[in-house]
Amino acid sequence: MKKTMFLALILSAVFFCAATVLAAELPNKIVIGNPEALSGSQAKAGEQAVGGIKATIKWVNTVHGGVKVGGKKIPLDYKFYDCESKREAVTSLLERLITVDKVNFIMAPYSSSLTLAGAPVAEKYGILYMDHGGASDKIFTQGFRYIVQTIGPGTRYHTGTLDMLKKKDPAAKRLALAYKDDEFARSVMEGTEAHAKKLGYEIVFKRTYPPTVNDLTPLLSDMKASRPDIVLGGGHLADGQLLTQQMADLGIQTKALSILAAVTLPAFQNALKGKADGVMGPSHWEYGVTFSKEKALKAKQTWVGPSQDEFVKLFKEAIGMDLRPEYHAAEAAAAVLSLVLAVEKANSLDSDKVRAAMGDLKFTSFYGGWAIDKTGMQVGHDMIDAQWQNGKLVIVWPEAAATSALQYPKPAFK
Amino acid sequence: MILEQLAGNLFQGVVLGTVYGMATMGLSLIFGVLKVVNVGHGAFIMVGAFTSFAVFEYLGLSPVFAIPVAFGIGMALGMIFYYSSIRRLLKGPELASLLATFSFGVILEEGVKFLFTSDFRGFNWDLGKIDMGFTVLPYAKVAACLGSVIIAVLLYLWFNKTRAGMAMRSVVEDGVGARVCGVNVDWEYALSFSLGIGLTVASGVLLTMFVSVGINPYMGGEYTLKAFVVAVLGGLASPYGAFFGGLVFGLLENGSYTLFAQIPGLEPFAMTRFFSFLILLLILLLRPTGLLKAK
Repeated sequence: MKKTMFLALILSAVFFCAATVLAAELPNKIVIGNPEALSGSQAKAGEQAVGGIKATIKWVNTVHGGVKVGGKKIPLDYKFYDCESKREAVTSLLERLITVDKVNFIMAPYSSSLTLAGAPVAEKYGILYMDHGGASDKIFTQGFRYIVQTIGPGTRYHTGTLDMLKKKDPAAKRLALAYKDDEFARSVMEGTEAHAKKLGYEIVFKRTYPPTVNDLTPLLSDMKASRPDIVLGGGHLADGQLLTQQMADLGIQTKALSILAAVTLPAFQNALKGKADGVMGPSHWEYGVTFSKEKALKAKQTWVGPSQDEFVKLFKEAIGMDLRPEYHAAEAAAAVLSLVLAVEKANSLDSDKVRAAMGDLKFTSFYGGWAIDKTGMQVGHDMIDAQWQNGKLVIVWPEAAATSALQYPKPAFK
Repeated sequence: MILEQLAGNLFQGVVLGTVYGMATMGLSLIFGVLKVVNVGHGAFIMVGAFTSFAVFEYLGLSPVFAIPVAFGIGMALGMIFYYSSIRRLLKGPELASLLATFSFGVILEEGVKFLFTSDFRGFNWDLGKIDMGFTVLPYAKVAACLGSVIIAVLLYLWFNKTRAGMAMRSVVEDGVGARVCGVNVDWEYALSFSLGIGLTVASGVLLTMFVSVGINPYMGGEYTLKAFVVAVLGGLASPYGAFFGGLVFGLLENGSYTLFAQIPGLEPFAMTRFFSFLILLLILLLRPTGLLKAK
């Protein structure tokens, strides 16, 4: 009897010591580091991402009560620097965040090339690297173990667009691809071309243009001669604006025009006004999508995070401006939510354990579904297609999420 | 079909080339008179682009009205930067003025970002277009081209027909001799620096008449690179050479596209750059002073 009691006492002491040690090891805050693009070519998206991250951290700390680890609720903190949209700055800032600021996890900067630039550093230190804005599939073919994607893979950007156009007009077969020569657009067009061929489209034109282009006239004159029914192209906002304006300048009229990562941003329509009407583009998220806690619970899905309207309110507070968040903000927010769920599931701040917990994590938030494959690539999130119609951006695909019917053929440039 | 495309692209190249030329004249003027390389050149073009945007969007006026406004802003900025730093650095190592102009660029970029945010802006100045059969040309581009030519002619007349212009030329020819003849060399330096910046900022307006989208605080980098190529093509110290260099560069860029597009497996847009820089290298080897000598 005495022996049993003694053993129980020893075990209790061991458990108490272990719990005390774990509690002592737990920091009083969990710090997310982020070398974000706040100046340079990706500044606009980077600013949105920072706003989205700040808004979500506020929700986690105030509504969610912090991140539950080792029986404690620990608040999130955020340390970010401006990487100036430069790859070399990403690597040096990551070193600083990991070795000097001692952050617990890393949020990658916006864009595929910047995300890719930082991945080897995160890998070297074995720290979880949350990819919120790097869509290129190439990121996930390098064997990196610590990168986890929230934005959807590039190769799937235009698959919905092509499905929609095929359904609308099976006779329109002549497809032109004119896109930016960068990691992201190449990845998107690789998937687009494969899907287009599967659907029976004829690729009548396929050309890239340099990332820092300021006149597309020669390429567009060339494309005009190929008489396409549908044009899919772009890369980012600046060249997307340029492509649309110069197509209008040269009087290139097609049945459909879909441009990457530009069309859904208000700046696209602000600059082009009537010329934007009828132009469409794929997006990860737009204000108005109908994901809700009620729907998720009804479908027996795990729901986390604020509602869409709560997020918009938190975002506006975070940036101090009356500006509606764009998908760059929403995907960064969803990346933070996935991290919170994974830390709670792993009950640890160890990157290896959190990464393992992410492997079979599935949830829904205001951003939509979230799940990854073995490489860390996002497979649980579906894209939407949006189109400008009479100065308003409406969702036209998928049919279940559409707020308006597709305007087809595209009206002439005004 | 190919000949039609080639003719169209060459024609568009000439129109674009005049704007490139205009956008480089300020760089060449400053280097010709002060021997200062303005590496912040593109940021001054960006200021002009935002001036055009502000005049069109906030005042509801045609970008044409933004040209004198931008020129005035550029002259004022030039005077401020000259008297605050360039004047003190003229006798220092070349690197000092190089870093100073780089700093001007960064200050302007961040200043404009503070005022306008980093949004990519633009405006829709649609005057209609003319279909020439082999290409379509918007009247806004015609206006940009004519504006560039008129400004280049005015600069020529100012240099050759006015006392102030001749005084500036005398400083380029022989600074000491000009001083002996009573020319206020320090004032000529200040004037040429601010005139160069004024021309550069005004060229930003013309560029927005050519392409009225993509206006953002960091848009200048690409124009800086092109301006250096154009300036070297035309003769780094010659504003007229720069204008001529712009025309050549526009033709090379647009014309070579059609030719490279005929070769299977090549990305013609990437090759136009290769070709332009190859020609630049050849000119540097065969005629290091550029196509036109400093004047």
